[in-house]
Amino acid sequence: MPKKFAVLGTRAPKLDAPDKVTGRAKYTEDLNLPGQLYGAILQSPHAHALITRIDVSRARRLRGVKAVITAKEVGLTKYGVSPARYDETLFAHEKVRYVGDEIAAVAAVDLATALEALELIQIDYEELPAVLDVEAALRSGAPQLHADYPNNIGAEVHQEFGDYEAALGECDYVRTDRLLSKRQDAAFIEPHACIAEFDNTGHLTLHTSTQTPHYVQRTVAMVTGVPVGKVRVIKPHVGGGFGPKAEATPLEMSACFLSMKTGCPVKMAYTREQVFLHSRARHQFYHEMTTGVKKDGTIHALHHRAVLDGGAYSSFGIATVYYAGSLLGGPYKLPNMKYDGMRVYTNKPACGAQRGHGGVAARACFEQQLDIIAAEIGIDPVDLRLKNIMQAGDVTCNELDMSSLGMRECIEAVRDGSGWDKKKGKLPKGKGIGMACGFFVSGAAYPIYRSDTYHSTVIIRVAEDGGSVTAFTGSADIGQGSDTMVAMIVAEALGIPLSDVRVASGDTDYSMDLGAYSSRQTLMTGHAAKEAAEDVKQQVLAVVSEELGVPVERLDVKSGRVKVRGKKPDIEAVRMRYIKEHRGWDDMPKGNELTFREAARLATLAKGSIVGNGKYKPPRLGGKHKGAAVGTSPAYGCSAQIVEVSVDLETGQVTVDAMTDAHDCGQIVNRTSVEGQMQGSLSMGLGEALLEEVKFDDEGRIVNASLGEYKIPTSLDMPRVKSIIIESNEPNGPFGAKEVGEGAIMPTIPAILNAVADATGVRMHELPLTAERVYTAMNEAKKKGR
Amino acid sequence: MKKLQISIRVNGEDQDLLVAPNRTLTEILREDLGLTGTKQGCGEGECGSCMVLLDGAPVNSCLVLAVQVDGHEVTTIEGVADGNELHPVQQAFVDQGAVQCGFCTPGMVLSAKALLEKKKRPTAHEIRSALSGNLCRCTGYQKIVEAVQSAARNMNRAGR
Amino acid sequence: MLLPKFDFDRPTSITEVCEILDEYGNSAQLLAGGTDVLVNLKRKRIAPERVVGIHRVSELGGLSTDRNEIRVGSLMTATEISENRTIARQIPFLGRAAAGLGSPPIRNRATIGGNLVTARPAADLIPPLMVLDAAVSLTSKNGTREIPVTRFVTGPGTTKIKDDEVLTHVIIPRNEAGTGGAYIKFGARHSCEISIVSVAAFVSLTPAGRRIASAKIALGAVAPKVMRCAHAEEALAGQYPGDKAFAIAGKAAARAARPISDFRGSAKYRRQMVDVLTRRALSAACKAARDDIAGRTK
Repeated sequence: MPKKFAVLGTRAPKLDAPDKVTGRAKYTEDLNLPGQLYGAILQSPHAHALITRIDVSRARRLRGVKAVITAKEVGLTKYGVSPARYDETLFAHEKVRYVGDEIAAVAAVDLATALEALELIQIDYEELPAVLDVEAALRSGAPQLHADYPNNIGAEVHQEFGDYEAALGECDYVRTDRLLSKRQDAAFIEPHACIAEFDNTGHLTLHTSTQTPHYVQRTVAMVTGVPVGKVRVIKPHVGGGFGPKAEATPLEMSACFLSMKTGCPVKMAYTREQVFLHSRARHQFYHEMTTGVKKDGTIHALHHRAVLDGGAYSSFGIATVYYAGSLLGGPYKLPNMKYDGMRVYTNKPACGAQRGHGGVAARACFEQQLDIIAAEIGIDPVDLRLKNIMQAGDVTCNELDMSSLGMRECIEAVRDGSGWDKKKGKLPKGKGIGMACGFFVSGAAYPIYRSDTYHSTVIIRVAEDGGSVTAFTGSADIGQGSDTMVAMIVAEALGIPLSDVRVASGDTDYSMDLGAYSSRQTLMTGHAAKEAAEDVKQQVLAVVSEELGVPVERLDVKSGRVKVRGKKPDIEAVRMRYIKEHRGWDDMPKGNELTFREAARLATLAKGSIVGNGKYKPPRLGGKHKGAAVGTSPAYGCSAQIVEVSVDLETGQVTVDAMTDAHDCGQIVNRTSVEGQMQGSLSMGLGEALLEEVKFDDEGRIVNASLGEYKIPTSLDMPRVKSIIIESNEPNGPFGAKEVGEGAIMPTIPAILNAVADATGVRMHELPLTAERVYTAMNEAKKKGR
Repeated sequence: MKKLQISIRVNGEDQDLLVAPNRTLTEILREDLGLTGTKQGCGEGECGSCMVLLDGAPVNSCLVLAVQVDGHEVTTIEGVADGNELHPVQQAFVDQGAVQCGFCTPGMVLSAKALLEKKKRPTAHEIRSALSGNLCRCTGYQKIVEAVQSAARNMNRAGR
Repeated sequence: MLLPKFDFDRPTSITEVCEILDEYGNSAQLLAGGTDVLVNLKRKRIAPERVVGIHRVSELGGLSTDRNEIRVGSLMTATEISENRTIARQIPFLGRAAAGLGSPPIRNRATIGGNLVTARPAADLIPPLMVLDAAVSLTSKNGTREIPVTRFVTGPGTTKIKDDEVLTHVIIPRNEAGTGGAYIKFGARHSCEISIVSVAAFVSLTPAGRRIASAKIALGAVAPKVMRCAHAEEALAGQYPGDKAFAIAGKAAARAARPISDFRGSAKYRRQMVDVLTRRALSAACKAARDDIAGRTK
């Protein structure tokens, strides 16, 4: 059977792998600019306090200090992630709202001097009572964090699709379940780092470990006052992002201001502890879901209430609280869905977007509940899912269009791949098996700021001698392999070998791209890359057509050669011209077909630079209700997982023994990268299910701000994963491709919850499932005679 | 604070340096010798991204003072390949997709190289155990383990 | 994270170390593997004027044995202990405890001397050494003294070591036939962990293996320091080595433990786990002792 694609679907090694395995790849902290200064930030030791006096004079006088900046010097421009919630200033002005809130920054000749200078900054605080949890924050009379948001409610969502109350009356079985998840950290291994350089022509260049050069560029421009066109953001190699690096940070903005003030490049980085203090990571979620089904298992109604603990500022939070609700509209048919969500401010670091965004905890609660319902009405959990899943072409009650949805194939693949039928209900006590499903957007249908802008643009420049092309893209490879994806799509669309494609990326000078978040780049940057490649092909073939006298419709490029349908033309003249130009070269083109190299050279001679342009933005999607934008996407990836666990019944310790995972990514671009994203998602899901929680003391200080005490899985904590890829051929995706980066994490936590329940007979309603928590729950169940 | 004269063999080359005693080996490698392949993810020996081989044994260089390795041998990630020829472990990492963001990669490669020098045919558990001080947030470890297994097979075939 | 400023000494003999300590006393900090000291320096928990690197003092390395005891040099690393053949033959559970300390790169640097002097309540080598009735040898300019490990540790991070002393080696008395030990480390992950609870057990069976002649139990992470459990140990003397005796001992050990609630776990849960893990450690130690009698280990 002929291969569908020449390049897509293969296991091409990533373009940057050789540099990374040899230590040649440069991350931001590896870079040094001549004359650079080192910066450090002064952060609040109090969770909530007024600032009554700031005196930087002693710090300024310290030998080696070149600048000290506070709100007084940098101004009070408000910024944030969503323009609807610009609720922070770079430096605290009259009050600090969490332990870690930024107050000042210093640039000095070395880091030790900068840190010493911080100690010399004198701040008088008047401590205020702090609210460290949602209950305290919502209590009447509670201290208010933001004057504009009474009762500390940063965002509130009320949506109803269908008619919940009426639908409830039509249900045969209704139950309510809850789940409390905890604040978590993305724990990327590379802490944030940046170097800002403001040169003497008014241009600001920022090298930074970011997922979103474009959004950083805009925020930096807005806050510093440097015009957007004079701000360049360059992303070197990035050691993981997972969400928190998808927004401008105080680190970046401080470095920019310090460089502007000193005229020198300024290098800054967060310590690991500061990464925890900065956070912008997983919110804490409380979910309460009342679900009604018919007696045959048809899901009919859902009332979902969610309360998010969001920390001191909004960050991505308004999108988070919307996603928590909207991402339950699928992948099951659900005609009646009511959602009431609230994001609350507390005096803790701000929470933002983290892999799967607001959908992860909600999916965990819902999928566990479906399992409970399945058990109560006597249907196998797999069958209950199969009974309710949507089909490609279905639209959710909240107007999300499942243009492709390989949900059935995913479920059947994990059922068969795990031996579910042989194991479910047949395992000894202490062993359990559980399943769950999930889905996620392939990019948000709307940019974070209101705009008709294209979401991705790609420019391809053909090298003059035609031997290679370079794709310029502002997209961000943060380890997921998007550069390789761009190269493979370009190679496929243009018809040339992958080895002839170079990618230059992550630089706002190269092209406009919204960056790596919401799992958007394969679909959106991929579309733009495909279009740019087709543009190059069309331009080159137009010249070839003219030269050879063959109508362009009969021409194509495949495997680096110009293919002609029908009567073959005489290519001698073109070839001779090329060879004459290359006297002294060894590897001259041969064969009776023109090479792309020769054709591209011909086109260059005829037209000068051959530059291909590609762009993409989603069509208008979604409904007209408030918040309709959040959750809309041109395509949805989906996933099913089955997990097997052992629970030590005497200690409560949970060990995940096996994981079977199926993900529908539409069309594989790079098979190895798809598997890698699946396996990585599962490891983050396992960590969040069993190990991870950011903990505070009663002064609002993080007590486990280290990688020793904030526990992500080690190699001995992850089992082998069986990864099965499903391809449903997404009509809205380039070559049928859609996301994998976040959809794959959705089923993990609930699959583990369901497996633990299977092993112990006890349902857990609070994460993470530490041994103590499971042990205590088992004990309580025993006492209640269950 | 008195600086001390030290001599370290780094990637086969003798380096004579005058260093302050409060400089870590990570800092000396990255800042004084320009070997930025050794990373710093936490500074407290909890992530493994600063790993180097000290007399052949994997250690967290962020917890080693430069003055402690006077007279010793250090191998960093830059010392693993032979010119442009990748070590079998490096080649396996590239081929098996064991590299995503790459920040843990230098440490992983060094841990794996040290393991395969001690054990020619490690089991999957032994590999995971050897790598258990190198945190990875991207891969879920699976392709890293597969890469080490593949490297072991290739090395045994080639008689290394 | 930057280190504070300090001067650095690189002595090559125990005598030299003692001279430096005699002169500088508590403004000098000994540095061996650095896995604790460097973290404490970076976190500003200590601020010595001088750091004394003892890695060149070859007298502090290595392991020697005679008819009566095993002497483990204080610079022996956790990796070396876990791979040492004498320890694997005589007291394998000490080797296994060392193999579970921290992570591989930490084990390549962490020393037995450091683990003892740092004296964390959750230290991995202290419980096995306590149940082995090990002693530390301390040397200063004024001479040498030996203190049993059970008395050496005085509190969280504090020991009887004086400012002018260096811990030179650990003395482990040789054991008769019919003995066996076990160490259980209980944490959240399978590597890079500081225990929530740890238990070491060492039993000596009567020659035919039918009774427990004596048992020693040490608990980690459930008191200000690693602690022995006199009541539990007494309750085992003379008992048949089976579940009934282990259960009684487990309950006694749980009663004796003095855990606190912290962010790693609650006191109540720690106490419950002392019970469970003590039973398991005793069971494993008795099995090792029976195997010893059957000649399978020696």
